[in-house]
Amino acid sequence: MTGFVDLYTEADTFLHRMDPRVKIAAVLLLSILAFLLSSLYYLLVLLAFIFLLTYLAKATMSRTMFALKFVLRLMVLIIVLWPLFDPSGTPVLASLGPVKITVPAIVRGLTSAVRVGCLATVWYILMFTTSQRDLVRALVKLGLRFDFGLTLAISLRFFPTFISTIDSITDAQRARGMELGRGRLFKRSKNYVSVLVPAIVSALRTADTLALALQSRAYGARSDRTFLTEIKMRGTDYAALSVVLGLLVVPLVAKYFFSVPL
Amino acid sequence: MRALDLRNVKFSYRGSDVPALDNVSLEVEKGEFVTVLGANGSGKSTICMLANGLIPHAIQGDLEGIVRIFGLDVKEHEIAEFTTKVGMVFQEPESQLFCMSVEEEVAFGPENLAVPRDEIRERVEWALELVGMKGYNDRSPFSLSGGEKQRVAIAAALSMRPEMLVLDEPAYALDPIGRIGLYSVLKDLKEKHGMTVLLAERDAEEAAAFSDRLVLMKGGRIIESGPPRLMLRDPEDLRAIGVNPPQVAEVASLLNTRLMISRFSFLNVDEAEKAIVDEVLALKPGGRQ
Amino acid sequence: MIPSAPSSMTREKIVSIRGLKFTYEGGVEAIRDVNLDIRYGEYIAIVGGNGSGKTTLAKNMNGLLRPTGGSVAVMDKPTSEQKVAALAKIVGYAFQNPDHQLFCSSVEEEVRFGPTNLGYPDEAIRDKVEKAIEAMNLGQFRKLPPLTLRLGERRRVSIASVIAMDPQVLILDEPTTGLDAGESAELMHRLKRLNDEGKTIILITHDMKLVAEHAKRVVVMARGKVLLDTDARGAFSDLEILRQSSLEPPAVTQLAHRLSAYDIPRDIVSPEELVFHLMRAGGDIR
Repeated sequence: MTGFVDLYTEADTFLHRMDPRVKIAAVLLLSILAFLLSSLYYLLVLLAFIFLLTYLAKATMSRTMFALKFVLRLMVLIIVLWPLFDPSGTPVLASLGPVKITVPAIVRGLTSAVRVGCLATVWYILMFTTSQRDLVRALVKLGLRFDFGLTLAISLRFFPTFISTIDSITDAQRARGMELGRGRLFKRSKNYVSVLVPAIVSALRTADTLALALQSRAYGARSDRTFLTEIKMRGTDYAALSVVLGLLVVPLVAKYFFSVPL
Repeated sequence: MRALDLRNVKFSYRGSDVPALDNVSLEVEKGEFVTVLGANGSGKSTICMLANGLIPHAIQGDLEGIVRIFGLDVKEHEIAEFTTKVGMVFQEPESQLFCMSVEEEVAFGPENLAVPRDEIRERVEWALELVGMKGYNDRSPFSLSGGEKQRVAIAAALSMRPEMLVLDEPAYALDPIGRIGLYSVLKDLKEKHGMTVLLAERDAEEAAAFSDRLVLMKGGRIIESGPPRLMLRDPEDLRAIGVNPPQVAEVASLLNTRLMISRFSFLNVDEAEKAIVDEVLALKPGGRQ
Repeated sequence: MIPSAPSSMTREKIVSIRGLKFTYEGGVEAIRDVNLDIRYGEYIAIVGGNGSGKTTLAKNMNGLLRPTGGSVAVMDKPTSEQKVAALAKIVGYAFQNPDHQLFCSSVEEEVRFGPTNLGYPDEAIRDKVEKAIEAMNLGQFRKLPPLTLRLGERRRVSIASVIAMDPQVLILDEPTTGLDAGESAELMHRLKRLNDEGKTIILITHDMKLVAEHAKRVVVMARGKVLLDTDARGAFSDLEILRQSSLEPPAVTQLAHRLSAYDIPRDIVSPEELVFHLMRAGGDIR
C-alpha cells in the first residue's frame, strides 16, 4: 500500500531511535568500509556484523530476503559469471578453450558478491529503521535546502499514488482491448503511449492543484519557519557515531599504514 | 470591514477569450455562511480563487474591477497577506494533501507562518478535534477515506486560524458517508464557531439548509442572491441556472401550488415532516391526530 | 451492432456469478459470497458505500479481476478462461475517471482505439465509431482533442470509446461524478436510449437519487455481500438496508418513511409522487 519505496517498519529498537543523521553517516561509512576491505574473510565478517544489525533492528530474515531478492539474484549472477570471465591465477580447476575456471577467480567473484550484499543490506537497514519523514528532515538538517527537502518529501509521498494511477490507467486501457507488450513495434509503442499520456496528464494536473495548495498554506510567506518536531543528537547518538567512525578508521589505518592484509 | 468585497469584477483566464466572470459584484460579511450555486463553468470556482488571492497572484489572467479581502485590495498586496487570512479547501482530496502524515499536514501552514512550536501543537489538536479527526495524527494520507482526507484538508486550513474559509466543491468526489461527515463539520463551523465561510456547490441538497445566503450564478454572472428560503421558494429559479433544487424545497413548492397557498418553505426533512404532519395530514376528514 | 435483445419474456442470462469470492493480494477480502445473474437488456444499479465491493464485483465481470473462489461466466464461458481483450467485446467498462483513458489527438481517434485493438475490419470500425459518436452526441467535437473538452464531454468520449467496441453489456462506474444537473441529465438520457435499443446497462454508484430515477433493478452491497437484490422500488422500502450499506436515501424517501403512519407509501422517490399521496391522504387546508 505505501509502495516498495517505503520499507519503514515501526519498532522500538536502538537503531530506530538513533538520530537519522548518524544512521546516514553510519551507512556511508560502512559502505566505504565495504570497498576498503578486499579480503573475502573480512568481508564475510562485515556481512555477519551487518546481519547482526538487522537482527537488532527486528527485521525478520524472511522480510529481509524478500526485500533483497533482486540483490540476491545479482549476487548469484556475480558468483557464477566472474570465474567465466576472469581466467587469471592458479590453481586451475577446469578449462574449456579460452575459458579457465581458477580458484582465485572464484574467490574474487565471491568477494564482489559479498561486497554487494553488504552494501545492499546496510542500506536496507537504513530504510527499514528510518521513516521517509526523518530521512528528509535529516538531509535538510545536514544542509539540504528546505525546498529541495520538501520536493523530495512530496515526491516520496506521491510515488505510491502515482503507481496506483498507472495501474488504474492500465486497467482502463486493457478494458478497451489494449494488451501491453504485444503487437508489432508501432502498435506496441502506441499501447505504451495510451498509458503514458494519461499518466503524465494526471501528474501535471496534480502538480497544478498542489502548487495552489502550497500557496494557500502560506508556503514561502516568510523567510523564517518553525519545525514542529526536531531531531537532536543525544549521548547515545554520539557514542554510536564514534563506534562507526572507529569501525572505519581502524581498518583504514591497519591496511594502509600497517599493511595488514584486509 | 467586509470579509470579501467584489465590485464589477471581470476576469478571463489566460488564453481564454470567454470571461469566466462578467461584471460580478458580491459582498460577504464577517460571520456569514455564503453558498454559491452554479453549474460547471458558471464561475463559482473562479470566485473561490479570487477570495483568497490565488487570482491574480498564482493564476494568470485578466482581472478588472475591485477585489478587496478584509479591506485589502488584492492587486496591491502580496499573496502572503491573504493566505494568512483566508483558508482554502480544493475539490480533489488527493492532490491537496502532500505531507506524509496528518499531523505534518495540519502543522504545515502554521510552520510556514513561523508560529512557535507549542502553539502549533495546540492548533493541530484544536483543528483535528474540530473536524472530528482527533487521534489521527500519525495516519498517512493513503490510509484515509476521501471524506477523511477532505476533513484533514479543512483542519490544515483551520490551523492557520483564518478569518474566512473558502471551499470549492469539497464534496465532489465523496461517498455518502464522506458527504455527511463533511457537511456536519461545516454546519458546526457555522453554528458553534461563527466562521465566515464561502462555499461553492453544484448541488443544492445539503448546504442550502444552513447557509445564511445563497448566490445563484450562471455564465459568469450572479443571477440572484438572498436567504435560502427566498431563493428556494421557486425551484425553477435553481433549474434555470442548471442546479437541481433540494427535494424538500420542491415538495414545499408543489404543496403551495396544489393547495393554493404560499406559506410552505422546507429547508430540511425535519421541517418538512413537522409542517406536513401538523398542517396537511392533520386536517384529513376523520383523519388521525 | 448486435440486434436488439428479445423482449423481456425470454431474457437469457449474459453474466452468471456463482459463489464469487475475491481477495486482493494484500489480504483484503473484498467479495465474500456473491450470487448474481444479469440478463440481456437489464438496467441494473449496483450500489454500496466505499469498501462494499461493488467496484471489485464489476471488475470481475470483464476479466480485469479473476475470481479467487466461485465462478463468473459471461455468455456461458468462465471469465478465467478468457482474456480481458476478448471479454471487452462483450462487457464494456467505462471507468470513473475519463482522464485515465483519454490520450489521442482527436475524439474520433480516441473512439477508434477500442475497436482497432479488437481487430475488426476497417469498414466495421468506421461504422461502430460513427454509431458511438452519435449515441453520445459528440458529432461537433469529433476532430477536437479530447483533453481540451469539459468534464461532461470527456466523460461522454470515454463512454463512446467503450461503446464503439459494441459490447452487449455496458458497465459505468459513477458516471455522473462531477457533472452538473444538465450534463447528468444529458448523459443519463443517452444511456436510456442505449438500454431501449437492447444494451444491458450496469451502473456502479452510491447516488441513490440517480438510482431512483433510472435503474430498474437494484443490487445493494455491503462488506462484500449482496444485502438486497430487488426491483428499483423495493430498494427504497427498507431504509435500514441502505443505511447498513453506507448509502443515503433521497430526502423525499426519508420524508415518506417518516410519514408512513399516515398511509403514505414508503418507496416514494420523487417530490411529485409524495405530494400526490399527501393530497390523497391529507385534506384541504385553505
